Amino acid sequence: MLEVRDVEKTFHPGTADEVCALRGVTLSVPDGSFVVVIGTNGSGKSTLLNAVAGTFLPDAGSIRLDGEDVTRWPEDRRARKVGRVFQGPFSGTAPTMTIAENLALAARRGKARGLGPALTRGLRREIRERVAALGMGLEDRLENEIGTLSGGQRQALTLLMATWVKPRLLLLDEHTAALDPKTAEQVIRLTKTAVEEGRLTTLMVTHSMAQAVHFGDRLVMMHRGKVIHEVAGEEKRGLRPEDLLARFEEVRRSDRLDAAAAGLLRSFYV
Amino acid sequence: MNLLIGSLTIGFILSVLALGVYVSFRVFAVADITTDGSLTLGAATAAVLLVRGTPPGLATLAAAAAAAAAGTVTGVLATRFRIPSLLAGILVMTALYSVNLRVMARSNIPLLSVPSLAEVAGRAGERLSGGARSVGVLGWEVAVRDLAMLGGAFLVAVAVAALLYAFFRTNLGTAMRATGNNAQMVRALGVDTDRTTVAGLALANGLVGLSGALLAQYQGFADVQMGIGMVVWGLASVIIGEALVRSSRLGLALAGTVLGCVLFRLLIALALRWGLDPNDLKLVTAAFVFAALVLPRLLERSARRKKVSGA
Repeated sequence: MLEVRDVEKTFHPGTADEVCALRGVTLSVPDGSFVVVIGTNGSGKSTLLNAVAGTFLPDAGSIRLDGEDVTRWPEDRRARKVGRVFQGPFSGTAPTMTIAENLALAARRGKARGLGPALTRGLRREIRERVAALGMGLEDRLENEIGTLSGGQRQALTLLMATWVKPRLLLLDEHTAALDPKTAEQVIRLTKTAVEEGRLTTLMVTHSMAQAVHFGDRLVMMHRGKVIHEVAGEEKRGLRPEDLLARFEEVRRSDRLDAAAAGLLRSFYV
Repeated sequence: MNLLIGSLTIGFILSVLALGVYVSFRVFAVADITTDGSLTLGAATAAVLLVRGTPPGLATLAAAAAAAAAGTVTGVLATRFRIPSLLAGILVMTALYSVNLRVMARSNIPLLSVPSLAEVAGRAGERLSGGARSVGVLGWEVAVRDLAMLGGAFLVAVAVAALLYAFFRTNLGTAMRATGNNAQMVRALGVDTDRTTVAGLALANGLVGLSGALLAQYQGFADVQMGIGMVVWGLASVIIGEALVRSSRLGLALAGTVLGCVLFRLLIALALRWGLDPNDLKLVTAAFVFAALVLPRLLERSARRKKVSGA
């Protein structure tokens, strides 16, 4: 169970680059549910995910995970509970280390790292099996540097790494956005299997209307650092991409109206 | 022949330093200039302890520990206080100059008359040779003591490389390698990258200090100036090693670093023999590293240009 309450974050406060990225976001992800976050560019959806992962500490508000207040926990401590797949295929793996070594690192997420060998024979066997299950033929290339693989292969492995130790919460940050459509499809299928088989509590950010409609049991729309709309249950199941587009159009129009009104006021009073 | 043996011995002793620089420069991607200070710190600590009658092995280990502490300081400055690592290294190196003078209480400590590892090696060599003081090697008369020191330096270099190889394949060691590779990813897997960075710089400088302690005992003195330019020496060794083995695989890279250091030492010895002014040594070393860093890129660019004009 993830509970985000009134989280606010401003980057570079007091400078010309000031960005108010989150303006009081409240969101909850019950155990076993799959929540999809969608939003315009700069709406704060990825920032929200980073706030949950602990990439930065919020200015205000609280984040509770699995019954514990993790608001002030550093990123590496939250990683005990959180598995994560990044947007860029290069972000989730250590390029000059082998596939096996990368997975061995993931196999100790949230555990102490001492002077035992990273790759025991048992772990090697398990890695081979689970990599083979991805169906990408990578099980014979475990000793290759992971940097030699394609983006899709790396993303599939990152997904396996994020879920190797079952996370209390899986964070997916537009993890197919940088892939070509065919590979994206493949990674999405793997995601679906992993989430369903592990009954993982998942928070996914996406820019794809199709993914937003077909995935998850709840949809959250963000705009300008706020949650503006939520769809769940029956309504979510019946949702079509056109409904979402209409909704975004509405937002855009009201923005334009705001801008027009502001312009009007300025012309009167300034 | 004596020149060759002496160069090889120094080459193997400095290869421990080169392995340290490999750890900071290649594993953590930090050009850690603390190296210049911690080499001297290792030499100074060992020298002072040896003069006071500490057993040579213990004095050498203490030297490594002292240098590791210096690396820890650099690591803490770079992580907790978010000082760019190059600047953190410069600060600690500068501070170490005073520390080293304090430790030594003067600028040079001779070690020729105190028991040291050099003497231990010499005695072991004489026992092996059955008491002879010199033996013939390929027709040359060579002092057993010199051969023994070469053997000792070789064993230390191989042992350090082997231990590093084993360490970097443990859970902690892979986490440290991943820190330099992709810090964001390894944090997401629950590793405190600040801690692994501090530990890595401590390890790197500990090796450098060990090398300094061995060097002081081999050449028979510790000098407050002896660390100057040593980080560049280490970089040169690492780069030559990479050119030799052409692989970023851990085992090969470590072996390459040792070989690179020894080869570089031999080249320098030859150059000195052919009349290179010793005063120009640092200039030549720096120019070499500069060329090694820039040439591959220039070559690549000219190759690309050729391809474009050919097409």
